Amino acid sequence: MIKILYFGRLSDMAGRRTETLALPQGVRNISALRAWLDTAHDLGGALDDPSVKTMVDQSLVHNDMSLNGNEEIGFLPPVGGG
Amino acid sequence: MITIRDTPFKPSKELEAFTQANCDAGAITSFLGQVRSEAGKVNALYLEQYPGVTETGIMDAVAKAKARWTLTDVMVIHRVGTMDVGEPIVLVAIAAKHRRPAFLACDYLMDYLKTQAVFWKRQTGKDGSKWIEPRTEDYQDKKRWEIR
Repeated sequence: MIKILYFGRLSDMAGRRTETLALPQGVRNISALRAWLDTAHDLGGALDDPSVKTMVDQSLVHNDMSLNGNEEIGFLPPVGGG
Repeated sequence: MITIRDTPFKPSKELEAFTQANCDAGAITSFLGQVRSEAGKVNALYLEQYPGVTETGIMDAVAKAKARWTLTDVMVIHRVGTMDVGEPIVLVAIAAKHRRPAFLACDYLMDYLKTQAVFWKRQTGKDGSKWIEPRTEDYQDKKRWEIR
C-alpha cells in the first residue's frame, strides 16, 4: 500500500491530509500517480503543477521515479515558515 | 538547539536561558517573528510541518551556517499549530565570539526559514482563510547567500 500525505493548500483541495491506497493499475511512477490523483480528487491540475514537489519516504524525488507500491509519498506545495 | 513546538513560548525566557548558557560568547543576536494583524484583517495564523522532514531541514541549514561562520551556539524555536495575533512564530538566536558572524548567521537562517523550511502557513481573518506562500522579496533575500 502507498500512504499519501497532502500538505498546505493541497490538503484543503483534496479534502484530506492522508490516504492509503494500493498503487492504481497502470501507475508506475510519480508522474503517473500525480496525474491519477489529480483526476481522482478533481484537483484541476493543482497536484500536477510543477510548483508541487514530491517526497518519497521523506526524500525529494523527480517525477520519473518508479514506485513499488509500498511507499510514503508526500506532496509539498511551495514551503515557507517564519 | 532546534525546537518545533505546538504550544506558545516566551521569547524573553528562552533568550535569557540561551544567554546564560553562552555567557562566554562576546556577541548574541536574535530575531523574533510574530503574527501580524494586518490592520485587523488577520485573526490567526496556522502553521503545518512535515514531521521529521521539517526538523531535518532546519538541522541542515544550521550546519551550513556553522560551516560558513564561526559560531558558538545556535537556537531555533519555531511554532506550528494555531497562533493568535501577537504570538511568537519563530525565534532565532546566535552566539558567537564577535558580532559580525552573529548578525550574518541570524539573517541567513531567517532567509532559510522563510523560503525553504518545510512549513505551510494559513492565515485566517475576516475575509476567510488563505494559504500564504513566500513573497518574491523572500526568494530574493535567500539568493543573497548564494556563493558566486
